[in-house]
Amino acid sequence: MSNKVENDTGGQLGSLIVSAVFVIVGVVTLYDSLSYSDIDSKVFPRAAAIVLIVCSMLSIVGSLLRPVREPGFGRGAWWRRILLVVSMLAACLAMPQLGFLPAGFIAFGGTLMASMHDRWTIQAAAVFLTSSILIMVGFYSLFRFVLNVPLP
Amino acid sequence: MDAGSFLSALTPLNIAFAFFGVVAGTVIGSIPGLTATMAVAVLVPITFSMEPASALILLGAIYTGAIYGGAYAAILLNTPGTPSAIATTFDGYPMAQRGEGDLAVALACFASVFGGLVGALALLFLAPPLSRVALAFGPVEYFWLAIFGLSLIASLSTGNLLKGLAGGAFGLILSTVGVAEISADIRLTFGSQTMIGGFGVVGALIGLYCIPVLIDLAATPDRHLSIETGVQSVRVGEAARVAMRSKFNLLRSSIIGTLVGILPGAGGSVAGLVAYSEARRSARPEQRFGEGEPDGIIATEAANNATVGGGFIPTLVLGIPGTPPDAVILGALLVQGVRTGPGLFQSGGGSIAYTFIYGLIIATLLMLPVGLLIGRYAYKSIVAIPKAMLVPSVGFMTLIGTFAIRNSVSDVIIMIGLGVFGWVVSRFGFAASPIVLGLILGPIAEQGFVQTWIIGSATENLPGMFFGRPISQAIVAFTLLSLMYPVFAARRRRRAGVDRGAGS
Repeated sequence: MSNKVENDTGGQLGSLIVSAVFVIVGVVTLYDSLSYSDIDSKVFPRAAAIVLIVCSMLSIVGSLLRPVREPGFGRGAWWRRILLVVSMLAACLAMPQLGFLPAGFIAFGGTLMASMHDRWTIQAAAVFLTSSILIMVGFYSLFRFVLNVPLP
Repeated sequence: MDAGSFLSALTPLNIAFAFFGVVAGTVIGSIPGLTATMAVAVLVPITFSMEPASALILLGAIYTGAIYGGAYAAILLNTPGTPSAIATTFDGYPMAQRGEGDLAVALACFASVFGGLVGALALLFLAPPLSRVALAFGPVEYFWLAIFGLSLIASLSTGNLLKGLAGGAFGLILSTVGVAEISADIRLTFGSQTMIGGFGVVGALIGLYCIPVLIDLAATPDRHLSIETGVQSVRVGEAARVAMRSKFNLLRSSIIGTLVGILPGAGGSVAGLVAYSEARRSARPEQRFGEGEPDGIIATEAANNATVGGGFIPTLVLGIPGTPPDAVILGALLVQGVRTGPGLFQSGGGSIAYTFIYGLIIATLLMLPVGLLIGRYAYKSIVAIPKAMLVPSVGFMTLIGTFAIRNSVSDVIIMIGLGVFGWVVSRFGFAASPIVLGLILGPIAEQGFVQTWIIGSATENLPGMFFGRPISQAIVAFTLLSLMYPVFAARRRRRAGVDRGAGS
């Protein structure tokens, strides 16, 4: 029952908000195109922006007149989603200072904690730590030394 | 074409090169972020000290293996390993989610081998005449081909066409970010230096397809892929029967892949999308494309592997690379002192060309056992690995794979941002696939449109330029057919239902 209520409210409102964001993106694109010096640069983004604005506005009108249930964010732990994204972004920001491998540990550790749904035990922690190091060093070596990617 | 070339391709050394190339290509192609172009480019230096024919065989094998390898990540992780495997995710991942990942992997292997053979046979028998197709395609044909690909949005957005079109238009806008190709205006960067390079297609693909899966996987304790009765080995026999039943789809998709491969700049992603669109248009009423339909995988994988042979046709006959990996291989050929052109298929240079083509056929055939074996272990690993290890491993691969494309941290941040955006909008009915279609086909459509516009304006014949050329007319007709066919089919089914009701 609670799920149904969530579908009826969150999904509908979210759909309207996303459509409104797309309208804004279209308007910004049209505005930006005013600064292009050549007509060749304007035609295509303007055409796409107009399609985006029209479709998004029609979608808003359609959602208001004839609401369609969207899944919405559904069930799941928000702290896990946020931890996953934040740890990956933190790794990106730390990369120039720490280097790729230490920064990778931040992302790996954060996403591991975010996706660990079983109970932590010393044995599990030891296995995961060892596996994590092997996987990261393995991929780092492949890219850095075999494929010659200049990882920081 | 002579027996000597065939025997040259069959030397143990060349077979070993073909085997190594297929294995290396498959493994590299299966890693999100590492494309077939990168696989070939990275391994080109190895070939400089080799015989020209052996070098070509190795590079061709790497290329064909990488295109196939992209299917693993598409099926098991919902992330196209290479852009060619975009449409493989549409049905591959749903199949894997319902416990048929092993069947999907085997189907992808059969289709890839079949498509690869059709492309290689076209290269063997029809290279000079087919190369004329490449010359017959002008800007307007490319424009309409891109529009044909975009028409797939209509069928990908079942029940919500407006949201699909909005997503497609958003993807088209994303594709214009950065420096305009023709006029060099800087668009939609808002003063940011990092945006001048635009959105990289591979990074965007990883973000839009992979990050949402990771977010969903982390949030709930549900299994990544369901397993019906324990982990099975790859279902070779069942896959062979399904592929045999879809032999027309296999052949049609392979021909589409070969023809699209011939067109410079189009590539495996366009071929896969066009073949998928055609398979969906001609689907039987009971087929459910987008929900785990085996024919969707067959169409995409046959088409994208057929582009390998197809792409070599203009590369070897005209010296115009059909796909980006072909451009790298063309460079390697020039280093080896091989001169491309029609003469390559005649006496003298012919032996190298035919040895290479036979080598490509051998490599494609080797892909069957190699692909099934690697596919078996890939599937077993993905279903057996605990979620707490799978999510960080894939997350780490997305970081390193995206960074490797342009050695840029900004690209990685953009990838994550696009992924989060894709996850949010997908929760409210805006699927990622139309955005990706717009992003990939946008540059082709814009370049074709602007060039046609300029030529049409200069000759004061805009309608004639856009609609007057026979190939354009044929593509426009197919586009209209693709858009209208679902409506006609639904009306016919309804009418048949009414007639049956009246009869009873």
